[in-house]
Amino acid sequence: MNKDQTDTEFIPLKNFHQRIRRSLANETLQLALDANAARRKASRQAAFASLPDLQERRARAHAIKAEIVAHLEDYLAEFIRQVEANGIHVHRAKDAQEAVSIVLKIVKDSPQRLKDSFVNPPDLSGEDVLIAKSKSMVSEEIELNHALEAAGYRVVETDLGEYIVQLRGERPAHIITPAVHLRRQEVGVLFAEKLGIPYTEDIPTLTNTARKVLREVFLNAHVGISGVNFGVVESGTLCLVTNEGNGRMVTTLPPVHIALMGIERLIPTLDDLALFLSLLPRSATGQKLSVYTSLIHAPLPGQTRHLILLDNGRLALRASPLAESLYCIRCGACLNACPVFRELGGHAYGSIYPGPIGSVISSALVDPQFDYLAQASSLCGACREACPVDIDLPGLLLRVRAGSSPRRTQSDPRGEQKEAKQHEGAGIPLPVKLGLKSFRLAASTPRLFAALQTLGGLLTHLLSPRRAYLHLPAWTGWGYSKDFPRLAVRPFRARWKEIGGREQRIESREQGIESREQGAERREQRGESREDGQEVVERFVQELTALGGKVERVSADELAARLQAFLAETGATQALTDDTVAPLLGKAAVRRPDPGIPVGVTGALCAIAETGSLVLVSGAGETLTASLLPPVHAVVLRTGQIVPTVAEALARPEVRRAAAGVIVTGPSRTADIEMALTIGVHGPGKLTVFLVDER
Amino acid sequence: MPETVQLFITCLIDSFFPHIGEAMVRVLNRAGVRVEFPAGQTCCGQPAFNAGLRSEARPLAEHTIRVFEQTTGDIIIPSGSCAAMIRHGYLELFRDDPHWLARAQALAGRVFELTEYLVDVRGVTDLGARWPGRLTYYPSCHLLRGLGVDRQPRLLLAHVREAEVVELPERDDCCGFGGIFSVEHPELSAEFLKRKIANLEKTAAPTLVVADTGCLMHIQGGLTRQGKPQRVVHIAEVLSNQR
Repeated sequence: MNKDQTDTEFIPLKNFHQRIRRSLANETLQLALDANAARRKASRQAAFASLPDLQERRARAHAIKAEIVAHLEDYLAEFIRQVEANGIHVHRAKDAQEAVSIVLKIVKDSPQRLKDSFVNPPDLSGEDVLIAKSKSMVSEEIELNHALEAAGYRVVETDLGEYIVQLRGERPAHIITPAVHLRRQEVGVLFAEKLGIPYTEDIPTLTNTARKVLREVFLNAHVGISGVNFGVVESGTLCLVTNEGNGRMVTTLPPVHIALMGIERLIPTLDDLALFLSLLPRSATGQKLSVYTSLIHAPLPGQTRHLILLDNGRLALRASPLAESLYCIRCGACLNACPVFRELGGHAYGSIYPGPIGSVISSALVDPQFDYLAQASSLCGACREACPVDIDLPGLLLRVRAGSSPRRTQSDPRGEQKEAKQHEGAGIPLPVKLGLKSFRLAASTPRLFAALQTLGGLLTHLLSPRRAYLHLPAWTGWGYSKDFPRLAVRPFRARWKEIGGREQRIESREQGIESREQGAERREQRGESREDGQEVVERFVQELTALGGKVERVSADELAARLQAFLAETGATQALTDDTVAPLLGKAAVRRPDPGIPVGVTGALCAIAETGSLVLVSGAGETLTASLLPPVHAVVLRTGQIVPTVAEALARPEVRRAAAGVIVTGPSRTADIEMALTIGVHGPGKLTVFLVDER
Repeated sequence: MPETVQLFITCLIDSFFPHIGEAMVRVLNRAGVRVEFPAGQTCCGQPAFNAGLRSEARPLAEHTIRVFEQTTGDIIIPSGSCAAMIRHGYLELFRDDPHWLARAQALAGRVFELTEYLVDVRGVTDLGARWPGRLTYYPSCHLLRGLGVDRQPRLLLAHVREAEVVELPERDDCCGFGGIFSVEHPELSAEFLKRKIANLEKTAAPTLVVADTGCLMHIQGGLTRQGKPQRVVHIAEVLSNQR
């Protein structure tokens, strides 16, 4: 793929057609995209099979986001109050430039504060500040990497897909799977060239190479920058969803953490969060829950946290007929469902937000020129069908075409609607516009319309006396891949004069009434079918095992001995632990976050049956680092700690009180190269639960 | 006294495929319905609306509303796309105009796509039709996702005698017509079309049934260009066929 596909400047319309042709001619890209389309669709459908009340959930999610967007300023004010009360510094940025300068200022000021750092206190001389980033579309939107590098800092993307894309000097091709346009061979060549390893196509080897390089970055980074998936208003929670563990690393290890968030990414309560968590991972990657769902409230000891809330056109969108686009939770399902994306991939769009949602929001958030993207849709509606928040994407694309995109100018920064009509049909070629105008003139007068029909019929029959379809040249658009039907010499309206004159042979029939099936066949009552204790335990074991985790059932008496034996089997003499399990490990217990230790053993606040997850919170020593740094993570859990649903886990007061928490759902994983599942990226690749039977 | 319905024939069938209109009248007659054809009708305005040229779409929408306001009874349309335009698109088009919005809403309540009307309103699934050979059905996007109509055409086809109805692989994927999309973005449209035709070939069916004329002329145009023998027919043609 050519490097110039990734120009950071916006792309005028005429180049768009070139880019389309280039994407279509790129065989590697086409193979990668076809594989993506098929697999994503299948995994999404499989994941939603476990959610019988999907349509009801979509409707609820839609209503919740509608409420947030309708009263955005109020919710935002309350959210900011909560976040600040939790001890996080909050900054509001009205545009990209302001957001970038806030980040630069925080980074510039940070070295003085680094003395308190709990990992590798650095010896800084301004320029060798190292910044570790986890995936954030907002950071792409404001072109943050570019600005940080221009200021002399070293920035490293730590999501595997983003890292690959950064090494190639490209931008992400998809909002969830940034390297979706590449195949393993290209990654092999890239790593051989940039990281100096022998060429290999083995995905686990490639992943492990990146893991090693990035581990150094995590351990030495001075600043961690992340995005935010959801901001919970009632608790000020910053929720981040990742699979590899890099999101946890950049929010846990560096002494300064900066979170970037669009102002619309709010939801009211932790109970609502449970609903959205049931939709986002299923839609994005076909998982019931992503491996790591981080819940951040306050800085960890010795850490400083900042939250930057970005407007950059969102309030203008809210005031426009495109407000519904702010309901988006950036799951990427509309991209995967879209037949146009399937042909193009992300880069051809030119905007960092590609696909159906990108075609709606790019002109408001990135560059007004992008409203031509909305024309690149057949309005097939697959995007809306896939959207977990039921956003009417085809309806919004139509509004963009009708000129509804807010136009921000210097004098009118809010982009208030003035002359939608002026921008009607933005991006349509003039001949098409003129054609539609003439058609309207003709169709407004039935007699003229009828006369033109007959004329057209005669003309096309003259041009093609024998064949019913005419061969039009490619430049007409229609003729590019297909023939055009002749018009009828006698259109229906002329024939009707005969049919209408005849007596219609109307049969009376009362038969065949076997339709009207009950529409709602399998609508399960939503709710809290209380599983009994044993079922909950079984479900947890089943779900976690399916994810590649191990469960060892033990009695309370044998726990300590089994843990010691586990360490011995793993070849470990020491284990990183937290306060709850340290007594069980005796001398082997280590309480400092030492990255050389191969095993982490922690307790858990609770576990979730429906997703096979473990909920860990800060507060009892090194729970968060011990569950993250070592390649092996063991958890001590009592059967009585298992709750049925995510919602019940999030209702626990400890979740809200903790400075940070994480829901761990299986071993760390990635599917960023060719969607091949690879276990063990930045977080532990092995996860074992010692389940203590309480009866 | 038989029920009387109004026929909105759509500009495509009127101009290009009048025989589909005739087939539709026979189908409705056979379902026990008398058909009227308001002569003033032309086009619902969808091409301009979909292009974003709402000021061009509006006069045609107003014209269509005026023409059918002078009639009574249900309005039957042999196209999911045009039916969706009147049912949903007009409400969007007149969203800021209470006067026209009310008139559009009244019209929207009377509009039915052909198969939807036959099955849901008339309760008819067997029209005594006969079609020897293998058929496969492609659910057009606006019919399937715009109106949520899928069960109805399948039920109707299931009762066609001597027809072997087989499933089209990747049936829900767009064929690439999309109105002016296929003219503005012919390269993309061509890729969708290629895939649709390849899937049609996998079924070994000589006949593809659709319920939307836009898709019909697009796919048939592609087949003709490629010299392929398959034929695309409108569902009204199948349902009206007795012999």
